[in-house]
Amino acid sequence: MNQSNTFWRVALLALPLSVFALIIIWPLLSSFYYGFTNWNGFSDNYDFVGFENFGKLFSDRLFMSAAINTIIWMAIAVVLPTVLGLSLALLIDSHVPGGPIFKTIFYLPICLSAVVVGQVWVWIYQPDWGLLNTIIEYVTNDRFNYAWLAKPDSALYSVIVAWSWQATGLSMVIYLAGLTAIPGDLLEVCELEGATTWQRIRHVILPLLTPATVVVVALSVINSLKGFDILYIMTGGGPFNSSDTLAMHMYNESFKKYLMGYGSAISVVLFLVALTIIRLYFKQLKKVDEIYG
Amino acid sequence: MNKRRRQLLLAAVLAPVMATASMVPSFAADEVTISHYFTGELGQKGLKEILDGFKAKSGITVKDSPIGHEDFKTGILVRAAGNALPDVFSYWAGARTQFVIDAGDLRPIDGMWDKAGLDNVVAKSVADGATKYDGKRYLVPFGYHYSGLFFNKAVMEKAGITEAPKTWEEFLAACEKLKANGVTPIALGSKNRWPAQFWFDYLILRTAGPDYRAKLMNGTASYADPEVKKAMDLWKSMVDKGYFVENANADSWTDASDKVARGDAAMTLMGTWITGYWNSIGLKPGEDYDFYPFPEVTAGVPNAVVGPVDGLVISANAKNPEGAEQLLEYLVSDPEAQAKWANIQGALSANVNVAKSNYNAVMLKALDTIDAAQTFAFNYDLSTPPPVAEVGLSMFARFMDDPSNVDTILDETQASAASAFAE
Repeated sequence: MNQSNTFWRVALLALPLSVFALIIIWPLLSSFYYGFTNWNGFSDNYDFVGFENFGKLFSDRLFMSAAINTIIWMAIAVVLPTVLGLSLALLIDSHVPGGPIFKTIFYLPICLSAVVVGQVWVWIYQPDWGLLNTIIEYVTNDRFNYAWLAKPDSALYSVIVAWSWQATGLSMVIYLAGLTAIPGDLLEVCELEGATTWQRIRHVILPLLTPATVVVVALSVINSLKGFDILYIMTGGGPFNSSDTLAMHMYNESFKKYLMGYGSAISVVLFLVALTIIRLYFKQLKKVDEIYG
Repeated sequence: MNKRRRQLLLAAVLAPVMATASMVPSFAADEVTISHYFTGELGQKGLKEILDGFKAKSGITVKDSPIGHEDFKTGILVRAAGNALPDVFSYWAGARTQFVIDAGDLRPIDGMWDKAGLDNVVAKSVADGATKYDGKRYLVPFGYHYSGLFFNKAVMEKAGITEAPKTWEEFLAACEKLKANGVTPIALGSKNRWPAQFWFDYLILRTAGPDYRAKLMNGTASYADPEVKKAMDLWKSMVDKGYFVENANADSWTDASDKVARGDAAMTLMGTWITGYWNSIGLKPGEDYDFYPFPEVTAGVPNAVVGPVDGLVISANAKNPEGAEQLLEYLVSDPEAQAKWANIQGALSANVNVAKSNYNAVMLKALDTIDAAQTFAFNYDLSTPPPVAEVGLSMFARFMDDPSNVDTILDETQASAASAFAE
């Protein structure tokens, strides 16, 4: 490699690298640092408190419930869009009338920002005149004003449904792309051999869709980790912290209680969880690559 | 990678960073920067006119950067963390201001206060509680609010309630009458938690008194005390009797105000800013709506009123502290600016020189109510430190969801509050 070539490489990399260093690496290292302090977020004075913040995690009732909520969120956020996306993809792929139109319709929510989706679903769930309760009242012919987002038993699940509604379109498109990659002659053989539709899906299509499934599941997990905006719009972690996830709890502790040190400790935990999941994803992706080329 | 290449890479990475860091904002002596949370359309327009008036008088240009109310709470502290506070900013008097002073971010204004003779301008009831911290002045009151039971006049009259209930018994009787008339007596929109705090504030102030409440707010009394239990039990008995709307936690304060405006509910315990909202949707003060003060509960307890004070403060690192002091002095002492601001915000002016003719009938009544009170108390989330306020606000929402849990809720609140006070 000659000298001028190196110069250009470095010069061209400089801007993206410095931006990356400034807005990703630097804050990341900072939050590790602040996780060991009692900084309030704006004062010039703070002390090092060792592992106190991390010890506090175990006695923090709200942290525990936020951790459980995060697991629930991830579990449902993986299953719902995956199953729904696959079902829709199979339906559209089976040449139902109006398939392309439905494809567009189901994909459309992706184009909306989480804030818009959140607000629309806030109206759907509105207890007195929301779409959902209006339908229930129409069907049961009885007054029904359950406040989906204001009750601790349903708030989290109601938000996950809204989130999944948006995420399903993406899963569907990825599955549709996967379906086009399945060789037509293979499906023809199935038909000739007299395989039922279920057998065809279970033993031919699903195994061949494994690469698509890995992508869908991984994207769902990663997206669910950053599922903060829609939660912030719809419940803000409420009522009374019952729908807090780790990200929301971190935000509340840092910016509402001004316990930036403790909030940083939570973000470190969240970072380690994300890192583990992303590592698993890359490992799985490599495996899929090896098998399917 | 050889050494030279490594150096080159490092230099390339650092160059743009250094370049950004050296871009220190320019600053002119005839300019003051201000940030505030008055982002309503009317508020922004009114403030601009007021600031133009200041420029005409002083020759100082005010550079204005408004941030929405909720975002302001975090936004201003992020700027404090970066030592990039504006010269002047709006802030809520009370525990929040104390919190920023403790961090060393505010500049005392005793010199300006004395020179401008603000003792003769700012009403004493507000000046005593809102402007002094640790023995020094830090804040001028831009406007303030009073919280009372705002009601729909037609609905109340239809239920035969023509006199303001003075005692707790009279108040409960009024609620019963309203219920018998098929109207929910009380609207509450506690989706964002804070609207519920006024109930706690008044119930504890009217039963245990202002001194006890002050102790609870500074951590020397406990949420497990019988005083708190008594106040919460009163609240619970009202919820149990069906005096509050269903699903309070699903509504915002404007939803609750709408319910009263429409006549679905009779009243709501809210700050005077509700008059600004109601006036803007066409209701007439004194004709369509009015208010009465929170009734007496335990006889002999000093009469207190509750509300927030919107203050203006100067940051410790202000680039133009002289200009900032001139601005503060103008904003609090110019009677015209104060009158205009009070009108736009549905707020009260702490400036004693503002003519009473500037207020509508309802606001005048609010002023009289405050004058007659022995204590002006800040509402809950401005009285207790922010980490504790977070705990308490969640407690109120949880209580509204299921009041039968009140004992557990209070025990857990005390545990969380104690650890928040220890921070």
